[in-house]
Amino acid sequence: MTRTRTPGISRRSTLALMGAGAMSVAAPWVARAQAKTIKVGMPTILSGRVAQLGTSSRNAVMLEVEKVNAAGGLAGRQIEMVIRDSKGQPQEAARVARELVNTDGCEWLIDGEASSGSFAVHEVARDLGVLCVHTCSEASSLTADPKQHIPNAFRCVRQGIHDSIVGGSYAASISKAKGLKKWATCSPDYAYGRDTTGEFTLYLKRFAPDVEVISESWPKLFQPDYTEVVTKILQAKPQALYSCLWGGDLTSYIDQANIYAMFSQMEVFAVNMADYTALTVVKNLPKGIHSGNRYIKTFPTTPENAAWGDAYKAKYNEYPTNWSWQNATAVMFLTEAAKKANSTDGKKIAEVLKGLTIKCPFGADGTVTMRGDDHTLVGYAIGWGTTIPQEPYVPEVKAGDWKTIFELEAEWKKSKGYI
Amino acid sequence: MTELEAGRAETLASVRGGAAFQRYRDVLIAVIAFAVLASLPLFTGSKALLDFVIRCSAYGLFATSLNLLVGYTGLTSFGHGMFFGLGAYSFGLIMQKLGLPIPVAFVATLAITAVIAAVIGAICVRLKEIYFAFVTLAFQMLIHSTILSWASFTGGDQGLRGGIPRPAFLGINLANHVHLYIASCALLVLGLLAMRQIAQSPFGYTLRMIRDNAARASFLGIDVWRAKLTVFVLAALFASMGGMVMALFVSGAYPEFAYWTISGEGIFINMLGGVSTFLGPMVGTVLLLLLNDTVTRFTEYHGIVLGVVILFFALGLRKGLLDFVAEWFSHRRDAGEGR
Repeated sequence: MTRTRTPGISRRSTLALMGAGAMSVAAPWVARAQAKTIKVGMPTILSGRVAQLGTSSRNAVMLEVEKVNAAGGLAGRQIEMVIRDSKGQPQEAARVARELVNTDGCEWLIDGEASSGSFAVHEVARDLGVLCVHTCSEASSLTADPKQHIPNAFRCVRQGIHDSIVGGSYAASISKAKGLKKWATCSPDYAYGRDTTGEFTLYLKRFAPDVEVISESWPKLFQPDYTEVVTKILQAKPQALYSCLWGGDLTSYIDQANIYAMFSQMEVFAVNMADYTALTVVKNLPKGIHSGNRYIKTFPTTPENAAWGDAYKAKYNEYPTNWSWQNATAVMFLTEAAKKANSTDGKKIAEVLKGLTIKCPFGADGTVTMRGDDHTLVGYAIGWGTTIPQEPYVPEVKAGDWKTIFELEAEWKKSKGYI
Repeated sequence: MTELEAGRAETLASVRGGAAFQRYRDVLIAVIAFAVLASLPLFTGSKALLDFVIRCSAYGLFATSLNLLVGYTGLTSFGHGMFFGLGAYSFGLIMQKLGLPIPVAFVATLAITAVIAAVIGAICVRLKEIYFAFVTLAFQMLIHSTILSWASFTGGDQGLRGGIPRPAFLGINLANHVHLYIASCALLVLGLLAMRQIAQSPFGYTLRMIRDNAARASFLGIDVWRAKLTVFVLAALFASMGGMVMALFVSGAYPEFAYWTISGEGIFINMLGGVSTFLGPMVGTVLLLLLNDTVTRFTEYHGIVLGVVILFFALGLRKGLLDFVAEWFSHRRDAGEGR
């Protein structure tokens, strides 16, 4: 037998393989070789069940960044956003955040992660010392707990504890006016659902001590069928119901509860109702559901807020979400801080951000503040109102009182051992 | 000694000699692999590359340990991720709450994993095929739900927050990126070497016999249940090591580490790399992480790309990459020798 060539990989294929390998290793470094722009990294959730919220975060950031770039950029540098999907997995969020800083050369991070992902990115910020603004995680402990505190991380998000205080006080005033003493709760069975419901009832009872919770339901997160829960609540015959179900869960729940005419039998308080992602999806939105504001272009009732909501709708053909305004506010804060510091250096920006008050369409009085002692957003528009089935969906929102929020928040922090 | 006995003794001696040679060869390969990996930071300043290798260590240990069950014993576990999560949580909690030195926490985590794996394994390994797969999955969901509900201890769905303290020991400071990298490489190489020894030992061949024909193994006097339980616990220990590396990398532990999707990724890695060669899962790990990291840079529709890749491997190659390459080489060799 004659052998024409030895078996194995030929020299050509070896060279081709080596070339391909070198290309894949070198690609990120080639991308880095661009000067003048400031790269801002953003890990967020662009796939899976909450992709809609992640996408709305990206949209809002891009809307604001385009404005900043058109006006000449930050301290003479154009912003280049590098936005990547974390799939909602904390280990991916940590990986992506590290990659954005170490490989892509991002100088700041806007962390569009929820829940555990935000804590994972927080650890990356602690490790790398990079300036990081959290824009989606509502978990109060992220900034309230002093163990979490790092000088380079800020949170530009509404907080669970603020919502509970305002919700509790609003619900108590309605309770007193209408004599609602028997309450039921129905919230998703995970930390957010249990914590938020616990805090809401705590403040409800504080403002209206004769209230009694007679039934509690804890459907699973992403549960498709709520028949059992609805009938349980109807049998308990409460005068009012509180729920912190959100997104698709809330809309499915309302559609299913509508069949049993639940909303005509009791007052319903659903903190996450007044968000366009829920309002526009429910088939027959009942009149008179009480809800906290998430994002609604009619609250605060200022032309700036309405104009921002319309500009977003015009560009993306859908309304913004709660995550949108938070992300937009983060860009506004960073822009203002860079202007004040006349620099894009993360450390200088962090110094300026502490205690910074900026003009903002989403502020309760037209301004919002990045509180200096715990690096968190305060002074944003927060309130409760009732729904109607068509636009503007929640025509009148009763604003919460920030003085009361600050007092009770300090008390809550003491009770948790945070201060 | 009769002639026959002498012949047998000779064969036995040569087999033993061969095994000893193979063992030395494995150790030599491990030493070289470690030397190459450990010297990488001298040649490149790329933190991303070091991060990549650290993640490969975590997933590689996990996937190869799963292959001890799937490839060597024929036990397709859908719940192996629970031990990955258990390792991450036990290690993180011990470091956060007790502040023990890292090596002590490491050994304590392995001990905790061994006890829990022995209890779960004792129930599961009696079952076969799909029943085994689903009961392991059920245990995984039990552990995942426990992590979620026991919020005061585990932090619930927000995970272990506040970072994992990493005090220096024996001059090693795992808070330093390069130290963490070298420690992860060392754990990976030692873990793979240990698993290789298990796979090549008489016990490893017993496992293959159980996979091929459990009844025959039983008739030959092998306690099948005990052998399966032993490998179940051993595999859990290496998965737990992977979990610890991941916990150190992200400086936390999150419920997603104990979710079924991690087990799914383990199975996927094994499908990609191949289950009939020892290094198949390691190749699968590198492939999956490379694919993931590259594809997510360009699109959020990574699910479609990964789906197409799975289809290519399942319908096109009909086996993992390393299995395919090994078969291709042996085919070429046979063709070259004119067989």
